[in-house]
Amino acid sequence: MNTKELKRFVSDWRIALLLVLVVLSVIAIYPHFDEEGRLASNLQYGLDLQQGAWLQLDMRAEVVGYTADRPLEEFISNLSTSLDAEVLQVDANHLEIRKYYAQADLESRFIAAGGQVTSYQQGVSKTTADSVKRVLENKINSLGTKDAKVNTLTGLNNVVRYIRVELAGVDMNQAQEIVGKQGRFEIRIQTTGNQTEHVLSGDAITSVQVPSQEPPGSDNWGVGFTLSESGAAAFRAAAIQYGATADPANHYLLMLLDNETVYSAPLSDDLAGKLQNENIRQLFASTGAGNYGSQQATNLEIHLRAGALPVDVTIAGSGGVSAPLGERYKQMVILAGILALITVGFVIYYRYREPYIVLPMVLINSSEIIILLGFISLIGFQLDLPTIAGLIAVLGTGIDQLVILTDEILHEGKVPSTGLYMKRLTRALSIIIVAAATVVIAMVPLVLMDLSTLKGFAIITIMGVIVGVIVTRPAYGKIIMQVLSK
Amino acid sequence: MGLINYNIEKYSPKQLVIIPLVLLAISLVMLALNFAATGMPVTPGIDFSGGTAVTIFSTDSKEQIQSTFADYPLVDVSEGVNEGKFLKFGSMDDTKYNDLSTLIYQKYPDASINQIGETFGKTLQSQAVLAILFSFIGMALVVFISFRTLVPSAAVVLSAFADMAMTAAAMNFIGIPLSLGTVAALLMLIGYSVDSDILLTNRVLKRQGKLNDKLTGAFHTGLIMTTTTFAAIGAMFLVSWFGSVQIVAEISAVLLIGLVFDVMNTWLTNVGILKWYVLKGGGK
Repeated sequence: MNTKELKRFVSDWRIALLLVLVVLSVIAIYPHFDEEGRLASNLQYGLDLQQGAWLQLDMRAEVVGYTADRPLEEFISNLSTSLDAEVLQVDANHLEIRKYYAQADLESRFIAAGGQVTSYQQGVSKTTADSVKRVLENKINSLGTKDAKVNTLTGLNNVVRYIRVELAGVDMNQAQEIVGKQGRFEIRIQTTGNQTEHVLSGDAITSVQVPSQEPPGSDNWGVGFTLSESGAAAFRAAAIQYGATADPANHYLLMLLDNETVYSAPLSDDLAGKLQNENIRQLFASTGAGNYGSQQATNLEIHLRAGALPVDVTIAGSGGVSAPLGERYKQMVILAGILALITVGFVIYYRYREPYIVLPMVLINSSEIIILLGFISLIGFQLDLPTIAGLIAVLGTGIDQLVILTDEILHEGKVPSTGLYMKRLTRALSIIIVAAATVVIAMVPLVLMDLSTLKGFAIITIMGVIVGVIVTRPAYGKIIMQVLSK
Repeated sequence: MGLINYNIEKYSPKQLVIIPLVLLAISLVMLALNFAATGMPVTPGIDFSGGTAVTIFSTDSKEQIQSTFADYPLVDVSEGVNEGKFLKFGSMDDTKYNDLSTLIYQKYPDASINQIGETFGKTLQSQAVLAILFSFIGMALVVFISFRTLVPSAAVVLSAFADMAMTAAAMNFIGIPLSLGTVAALLMLIGYSVDSDILLTNRVLKRQGKLNDKLTGAFHTGLIMTTTTFAAIGAMFLVSWFGSVQIVAEISAVLLIGLVFDVMNTWLTNVGILKWYVLKGGGK
């Protein structure tokens, strides 16, 4: 092939697209040597290929379909008292009960409160799940854990029951210590004597600031925190209802973590005055002066952050891989991938006995894997064992389809004319597209169903098939044409 | 490939389909028996039944391990090559589990632990069943839409179904549990299995020429396809088996078994039905 031919060959859109994608993928993967001279890349590894632990949390709450034969507000407040739990309206027909009750138990209590249970599902609404997720992320990040992922697993009907937490660099027991012991945070207000009343839960706190001095430079320490719109409204309503705005000194505010008081102080006169007139979202809890105050502020900050989980959780599943084992798995799968590619090369050579066919096949196959890896690094996806098994399986289907292409084109062993070639290429591609469509359809349920670890496998398989049909098979068709016309 | 001499033209459709149909019947009976015994057609692993799986690399013997964990519900210890040991525990409460994980990390600091709670396993199980069901229905739809003729499409779907049923029965027979990984492998099998079926049907229905020539040509292409896939997955199986990477070994074992059944179901079941269909005048 002379330079001119090569130029024309490379500028064919199929070849050009393949080359561009491979180059972009290599850039995205960015293989390089790190400071210690080890080979590194942008690829992220899942927990089974590096040290880490995962926890699956089961939320002890339920979303219940209901009908009520009395005003909603009255019904919800009846329920809340009877269940001794927060009851929230999710939508017109669903309530969220933030405490675990069996279905039969709930049904009788609903009837007593003046309503009916029409459906029952363990879990929380999507909004609550998001706040649980946010709280967990804050908590993990504040503890300085380097690499953490929190994912909610949404079931059907938009009810979320499970949350998956993945922590790199820790073992399972440490992970459980970090995540498992979640406190339940609550702000209560003193009514009369020792009596207190619930004001809001930790999920009404949207952000917590680091300890600071108020006013700045005064050596009076405290922690600022922000309430959600509804939280601020509830806060003001309670303060007015129980008389804290009129008589702050006798109506302390209490912060409780797991039913233990972690902070207790009256409203400041300034705040009490403001609350008379408007909702206040930005609050500041003073903890005192000097070292003591500063220390207290640090503790309170952790409590405010850590305690903000709105529902109880139990551990539904957990696991962890140690550093040596992860390293070993990584070496094994790399070996498996390379060996698979070599074996495929040998089998192809045994069948066609023609290096000019074998070489492009193996190259196309490898380029497919490179493009997939590039895609994986680009979207920040984690390579785990099932995903790698998926990659190798894609390698298998990929070579399958290259064989279909080659055999269709080489039909009866004769090199076809361009017209016939195009006809055969189209026919081969139509077989491949049907086969690809079935693979995609077979994998879609796995992507949609949140079967945690299988999602990666399914996404990679689907991506592999799509890249194959759009990019690598047409490019191979062009290459093999070039090779055959020699 | 020159090694295999298989003359599809020699056999009548009835002769072709008889062996796979008998095998399919046996497989279905095996799956039904297993369903009666465990509530699942394939014995569920800890992903679905709940429990704890532990992988360690140690020279300790099976007996030593059993005595170490005598206080815990140790169900099974299996040994891989290269000193890999796979321990399975039944369900236990949280305190017991915490004690167990502490003990494991103390004795074998490099262990890998995976624990699935019983209720979570149930959730995964029902999702997995739905996933398989939807995948299969989706595959059947694509096949019917692309061929638009009843008998050839049904033949492809039946072959895929037979692949899965036989592979599932073989899993019970060999003792590979149904896990998240093997469910993924079974779904992958749906894709692999229709690959060669579609090639066959396409060649026979859409190409000109004598039926027997088309069958022979399709067989040659189909067999090389399966051989290459088999080679890729085989390499993955060997490495993961020697390296004791259990989940990958199980995934690839299921794929390998499935590919063997696929050869049979494509070149006996599917060919048989297709031949019968063309001979009685369909497809013209």
